Formats: sequence, structure tokens, C-alpha cells
Amino acid sequence: MLLLDYQNVLIQSVLTERFSGAPPVSIDQTVSDFDGVTFHISTPEAKTRIMVSLQIRCFQELLRYGAEDVLNREYGPYVVAPEPGYDFSIVVDLENLPADKEARDELVKKISLLKRNAMAGPFEQAYQEHYHLKAEAAKFTSEEAPQGVREGGAVKAIHYREEEAIYVKASHDRVTVIFSTIFREETDRVFGKVFIQEFVDARRRAIQNAPQVLFRNDPPLELQGVPGVKNTGTGEIGYVTFVLFPRHLTPQRMPDVISHIQTFRDYFHYHIKASKAYIHSRMRRRTADFLQVLRRARPDNEEKERKTASGRTFKVGS
Amino acid sequence: MANQTPAVVMDNGTGFSKLGFAGNDSPSFVFPTAIATKGPTAGASGSGSGRPAVANKPSFLTGGAGPTGHLSMKRGTEDLDFFIGDEAISAASGPGYGLHYPIRHGQVENWDHMERFWSNSIFKYLRVEPEDHHFLLTEPPLNPPENRENTAEIFFESFNCAGLYIAVQAVLALAASWTSSKVTDRSLTGTVIDSGDGVTHVIPVAEGYVIGSSIKSIPIAGRDITYFVQSLLRDRGEPDSSLKTAQEIKEEYCYVSPDIVNEFAKYDRDRSRFMKHVVAQPGGRQVTVDVGYERFLAPEIFFNPEIYSSDFLTPLPVVVDGVIQSSPIDVRRGLYKNIVLSGGSTLYKDFGRRLQRDIKQLVDARIRQSEVRSGGAKSGGLEVQVITHKRQRHGPWFGGSLLGQTPEFRSYCHTKAEYQEYGPGIVRRFALLGGPGGS
Repeated sequence: MLLLDYQNVLIQSVLTERFSGAPPVSIDQTVSDFDGVTFHISTPEAKTRIMVSLQIRCFQELLRYGAEDVLNREYGPYVVAPEPGYDFSIVVDLENLPADKEARDELVKKISLLKRNAMAGPFEQAYQEHYHLKAEAAKFTSEEAPQGVREGGAVKAIHYREEEAIYVKASHDRVTVIFSTIFREETDRVFGKVFIQEFVDARRRAIQNAPQVLFRNDPPLELQGVPGVKNTGTGEIGYVTFVLFPRHLTPQRMPDVISHIQTFRDYFHYHIKASKAYIHSRMRRRTADFLQVLRRARPDNEEKERKTASGRTFKVGS
Repeated sequence: MANQTPAVVMDNGTGFSKLGFAGNDSPSFVFPTAIATKGPTAGASGSGSGRPAVANKPSFLTGGAGPTGHLSMKRGTEDLDFFIGDEAISAASGPGYGLHYPIRHGQVENWDHMERFWSNSIFKYLRVEPEDHHFLLTEPPLNPPENRENTAEIFFESFNCAGLYIAVQAVLALAASWTSSKVTDRSLTGTVIDSGDGVTHVIPVAEGYVIGSSIKSIPIAGRDITYFVQSLLRDRGEPDSSLKTAQEIKEEYCYVSPDIVNEFAKYDRDRSRFMKHVVAQPGGRQVTVDVGYERFLAPEIFFNPEIYSSDFLTPLPVVVDGVIQSSPIDVRRGLYKNIVLSGGSTLYKDFGRRLQRDIKQLVDARIRQSEVRSGGAKSGGLEVQVITHKRQRHGPWFGGSLLGQTPEFRSYCHTKAEYQEYGPGIVRRFALLGGPGGS
């Protein structure tokens, strides 16, 4: 498994089972996802009406950046008033499902992507801004472009974790996505550095089409003046910048790019942990080898005389 | 906010792993504890124990090219090329992948595989960032402390989990029984009868501590019942006597009868007790299998093992009685009063009732004898109670879910900081969760 899935496997499996015509049962499950997202699958009113609720840290920010449009577009007819304690809820009526199987699978897929779609709002908005700015910029040559066009749109900050945030900024020729990352563990920071270096170098080596990746320990220039960005000067927080070029910004590529970039942090952490597992496996292997050498080095049992209680001697060993 | 994340409860058994979040009433995922990796199966490598085969010569003597093609020789992303659970089973049926079971007899045998199994269960199935969650793991009784330390090393060093608690399955099964209406005081004293697929354990627990010297295991469990049903079907010459059919019949029709002789007579009087089981065979054909006496005979092998096995002849009630009699005298009353069932093979209808009756008979007979011997002294009697409850199937997991959602759970966990301060030895001891002074 190189890439993480975008959808929530549990929601997918629960709904697939329910939609396949199994007898309705009451469900009440709390499910976690990455980044402190909590889902609640329940059947509050009747066994045939499944409610899926989402709770996400940065929902207010997401709403400000157009998450509502995306969610309404994706889940239009299913949206209901959010369950208390949660930010967004949809209800699916089992008696009112699409008739053919493909449409049902489509619906399951869509619901299991709830978190992805909620987070997609700011990115989609940035895309729209980029298209708009591009059209504006086309009217001018690069020198005489007015201030607003050259600078690009405002920075959208999504504080999706307590200490970490994603910043999205659109300009006329690119969209910049900046992740602030923080590591609680010294070891992880070292691993993380190696990983990000690989990302930075990837473009130089083989993959010309990859977005440009930059890594630094102080806030990049794009984030100057954004509230909440502090330059601690200690280098604890790393900033990973992805620069998406027009190649990545076509409407056809949009859904994929958004899905990929959202899972970056989890992907990153998953691979740090997987490499640790790999190193552990090599360490165990090496220990087993050393133990074998030790076992071999043990001298064979020498013949020695032993005495019985009555004083007679006999020989032991071969 | 981050403190509100539910704890992750993982019960990795020999056959199946139960994963989920504390507070839910059923595990989110139940799948085989199996991992499919590139290369031959464990069986093909000849070791059979699931350990990584040790090369004949250390790798640095053979120039680094060991004959086994072990993972540590690989330099690419081979270490990520594996599947777990149901996907592993289907991947292993194709070419290129070998299936491994990292847990044998309840204990982790292959830590390489287990580490990757955990990694995938956390990131792919549960989708949690281990740094944000506390983890509650289970271990079998009599797990060596070294295994605990290995587990802690993996969870703290690899996954940086926020906190770790390792609980004994039997204790969790006791906690799960608190949902039963028969249980009035939430004590952690009782006898757990844990019957899974491979083996049945009878485990006495006093105040949350397992009395290790008194544990007994019985080599009769779910798989044997299935085999027994299958042999009965074969004897009758039914059109379909596959293991799968036998298992379906076992799960659907079997129950425990109070008395076999009466039950035979009842069946002969009333033909409606014979059932028909329809099996859909591959190719769309349907055959009907008669279901007869095996409905009550199959679970009967717990109570009269001689009808199935010629090696093991002690009935389950006698074993339970023996276990309690070998425990310290001051806890025996509590052990008799709280006999808790756990595991899939205890789900037969009236299993608990029959067990309770049989144990009661044994106990009463003994009391009468000693009354006679003592010459006129009267005993106040002894209460025997077998608890059946709705969460028996995933008993240990449910107990973990119950305890993992309590507010004080986090304070019982060991954190990474403590681990780094004291080393892996810290997990040899855990404060007793849900014990006296708890909820």
C-alpha cells in the first residue's frame, strides 16, 4: 500500500452492506478518521434511515471558503440539519435508494468521501480564483499588471489540526499550497526531513511533471502577515510548499489533485512509520544473525569426570 | 479537542482480529489475523512456526545475499507490498503472495509481520493518526512479559501512540459481563470460559488478577464441533458434507439439550424437529441437507467428550469445578458465583443453563458428602451462577470498549514519556482498570 485511500473504509463497508438489501438493523457507531475527524453513523428515527454525521475541527473555516457549495453539490438531496455536536449531517433513506446497483455504489462512494469533500471547499475555491485571475492577467502584459492581479488572492488558512494548518493561495499562474508540519518526536523529525528532501529532489531527477516542492523552517514569504503564523525561530515547525502549475490546474485533474494533496500529511506520517517498521525488521534480522554466531561460538561440551555419591567415577558426553 | 478522540481497541486473536473504537457496541472491523506478503508461505519455508527462517550462514558471511530473500535484503518498496485480513486471503489465493498468521496460540510469533499488520490496520482500516489516540490492546493469559515489552516497543517507537494499555482478555471478558442484568456488583472476580475456534480455556480471575496456576485448557472448541457435525453428515451420506456446510448447520441449528436420552425420544415423537438446510453449491445447484440429532449432539461434546474424542474425556463442568477447587480457598465462592462465558463457541442456546446445572450438581454432591462426614453439620449452600450476555461473541473486545470509554482510562495508560523514562519494562505492570476504586 503506497498511497492511502481517500474514502473511509468503515462507512463504505457499513453502507455497502446496508444497501445490498440486508434486513435493516439499528446502527450506532462512532468512527474516527485522520486529523481528529469524527463520524457518527446512526439510525435515530427508523432503522431504514441512516444518518451520517461529520465533525471536523475547522468546519467554520471551511464554510468560509466555500465548503457549503461543494457539500450541497455532492449531497444535495440528502443534507439535513446537523446533529447536535456535529457539523454536518446527511440522511439516506434505505427505502428510497437508486434502483440500479451502479448508482448505489456511486452513492456509497460519495458518502464515504465525506471528509474529503468537506475539505475540498477551499481548494476548489482557489481553483476558481486561479481561473479568474488567469483571465484577468491575460489582459495585461506581465509588467503592467495591476497590483491585485500580480499578487493573487488572499491566503486561505485551514487549521485542520491543533498545531498544524494548510494555507492555500491562488495566483494567476499557480496555486500554492503550504503545509505547516510539526513533529513531537525527534526521530520523526529526522525521518521527515529525509522524506521531504526526496520530494524536493523528485522534480530534479525524474518526474518533470511533479509540482514543485519547497521545504523551509521559517514561514515562507507567502504567509507574511497571515494571522496565526508565528516565526518561532527555533525551526520546530517546518513549512512544506507545493506549487501547483497550470498543468495541474485543469478542471479534469482537479478532483485527483485535491484528493492527493489533502492526504499529504497522513501519507507522510504513514510512510515515516512504515520505514520505521522496515528498519525494525532489519534490526530483528541482524539480531537473529548475531545470536546464531554466538551459538556457534559456544564450545562443545568437554568430557569431564563426574562422581557418584559413592565415589565412583564415570564419563559424560560423547 | 484532541483529547476527545476515542480510544482504539484492538483484540488480536489467533484466528480473528477485532478492531474498533471505544464506546461502540461492536467492533468496526473483524477480519482474519492474516497477512499476505510477496514470496512463499510460511509452510513452504519449512519452519512452520511462522518465524522468519534463519539463514544457514549469517548474511555477512554469505556476502549479504541470503538464500531466503528476506525482506531485509530488499531495497525497494517491497516492505509495503502486502495485504491483511480478508484481502490477504484473496490475494494469497492468487500467485505471488504467501499467507502468514503472525499469531499462534494467542501469542505473537512473528513480530515483523505483526508490526506491519498493525500499521495497516491503523492507517488503512481504522484511519487514525496513532499520535492522537490511546490504544487498548489485549493479550492472552500467561503471555510472557517479553511479549508485552515487544508490543510496547512497536507501539511507542514505531507508532508514537499517545498512550498504551494492555489488558488480559479474560479480565475484559469479565468486564463485558457487566452488561448482563444478572450482574449486580461490578466485581472483577469470576471464572471465564473462553471458547474460540481452536481451544477452550477456563481461567479463574480474582480481583482482576489471573490465577495463572489454575488455568486449564480443553482441546475441544468450535472447530471440533464443526468436524463432529461434518462426520455425522458423512455417516448419513448427505449430498453435501463440506466443512462450510457443517459450520452453517452448527451456527444455525445447534442448541444444548438438558438430557440427551429425553431429547432423542422427543425427536422420535415429533418429526417436526428434524430440519432441512438448503445449500447453494457453486454452479447454481441447490441441494437439501437433512439436519437431525446433530442439533443437540454437537454442543454435547463439551459435556460428554467421549462421543467425539478418545483422548480427552473430562466434561467441561468437571474441568470448571476442578479449576475453582484448585484456586485459593478464599476466592472460590466468588468464582462459583460469577462464571462468565466468552467466545463464539459459547453461543449455543441454553449452554449456560446446562453448565450451571451440571456444576451445581457437582458442588451439591460434594457438600452433601462433607455434611455426612462431619456428622450433622449443615452447610449454608453455595451459589453457582453462569452468566450469559449479549456481547459474548466479541466479549474481550466489548469489555475493552466499555473500559476504554471511561474517563479514567487515560490515566491508567502508559504514555510515551513514561516509556522513554523507564524503558520497555514499564509495561510489565499496569494499574488495574475498572478495579476497586474505579468506576
